[in-house]
Amino acid sequence: MEKETMIEVNNISMRFNLGIEKGFSLKQGFVDLFKKDKKNKPKNNEFWALKNVDFKIKKGEVIGFIGSNGAGKSTLLKIVAGVMKPTKGNIKAYGNICPMIELGAGFDPQLTARENIYLNGAVMGYSKELINSKFQEIVDFSELKDFLDVPVQNFSSGMIARLAFSIATIVEPEILIVDEILSVGDIAFQAKSEAKMMSMITGGTTVLYVSHSLESIRKLCDRVVWIEHGEVQKIGGKEICDDYLKYMEVK
Amino acid sequence: MNYLNNIKYTFTKYGFLIEELVSRDFKVKYKRSILGVLWSLLYPLLTMTVMAIVFSNVFKFSTPGVNYLVYLMTGLVIFNYFSEASNLAMSSVVANFSLINKVYIPKYIFPLTKCLFVGINFLLTLIPLYIIILVTGTGINVYHLLLPYAFICLFLFTVGIGFILAAISVFLRDMFYIYGVLITLWTYLTPIMYDIKMLNPTFAFILKFNPLYQFINFSRTIILYNSCPTIGQFAGCAVSSLVFLLAGIIIFKKNQDKFIYYV
Repeated sequence: MEKETMIEVNNISMRFNLGIEKGFSLKQGFVDLFKKDKKNKPKNNEFWALKNVDFKIKKGEVIGFIGSNGAGKSTLLKIVAGVMKPTKGNIKAYGNICPMIELGAGFDPQLTARENIYLNGAVMGYSKELINSKFQEIVDFSELKDFLDVPVQNFSSGMIARLAFSIATIVEPEILIVDEILSVGDIAFQAKSEAKMMSMITGGTTVLYVSHSLESIRKLCDRVVWIEHGEVQKIGGKEICDDYLKYMEVK
Repeated sequence: MNYLNNIKYTFTKYGFLIEELVSRDFKVKYKRSILGVLWSLLYPLLTMTVMAIVFSNVFKFSTPGVNYLVYLMTGLVIFNYFSEASNLAMSSVVANFSLINKVYIPKYIFPLTKCLFVGINFLLTLIPLYIIILVTGTGINVYHLLLPYAFICLFLFTVGIGFILAAISVFLRDMFYIYGVLITLWTYLTPIMYDIKMLNPTFAFILKFNPLYQFINFSRTIILYNSCPTIGQFAGCAVSSLVFLLAGIIIFKKNQDKFIYYV
């Protein structure tokens, strides 16, 4: 029996305009106005981060994304998560998405851990009832019981990552997007978080996983997508990891 | 109908997030200040005192027939809400870029929560306003029940302006400085400490197109002159708030997908 499709990526392309700096400022505009050699300006500073990417993901599949830095992996995941809209093509996702792209983005450093659990939970789209019922579980998993009423700005980066991971993984989403976060906290917590990820993966969640660790890709993923220069090089089984490794060695 | 359902869906889905963001702002604002929330009451009282001393003693401003303190305070409370909320709303999208870049959240939530947060503060500043009203013997009448109408119009107007400013400031960071100058100008173009009747008629006529004048005038008619606002005043408030709200929604909606490229 054919499994149902969870995510459809229909021929998407993504264009960035490299000319755009952090906001246009009047000063810059004024300086440009008096620049004599206007020809010096590169006319074609468009950059296609993704070109005609097209694939489907079925329910329960774990897909690994590999490729060198700047190949477009993170852009692709951001488009799937709905953070960006593709320039061309479209994406259909049938299920709720939990993006774990950067942990702790929704924390406010001045608030305590307890307050941040609610704030970050709300950012992830949880309801108040859900957080109330899972609060103890989050605290237990993060092992930060004694620091609940301490402002997060006094936490170490490891503690922040532990708290964020515990909040992010408390629900079982239908689609999980993971961008290289397995190395969270100390060794004990790493083992624990990896076990938690494994249980989510075997629990039937569809997972999109980006990593530079081919070892963990081989261990976790059913299929691998290799992206290079914004284009899909190969889609297939774990053997793609070897092709990728060869490519990187030649490079 | 479909549109209303959409709004209802958003509020059930993002209601908790809005609540959390507003309470975050509140907690952060008063953390580590000894008087805490009491500042919301003291601050307008103290600014009013300073302005009252300057304008009634140094410049000899007065408002014949009504109490100058109440006159000043009514204008201040309304203008301060607008000025603080629009400023916070302007920077809200830029300040939350790290979040917008990682999770999908409707972007209008950020300016909206700022307007709500300052709105709670605004309700607190009504306490010192009413203290002044009672202490000066200005008295309360039944028309005070109409005041929420002006406040709702003020809120919608501020949300509209907040949307416009937030959208512009993403593309043009200079807006933060430009708006600082604009709001100073706006303070003097709004009859907060002076009476519009003191000006020459042409200038006074132009000033009436200032939406903030509409809200302040509506409130003063009730609080100071103990009378019911005219139909014209009701319409003035509604039109100025809805026009800017609509403009804000259109401008924000049209540009929000481009925000991400200016991170």
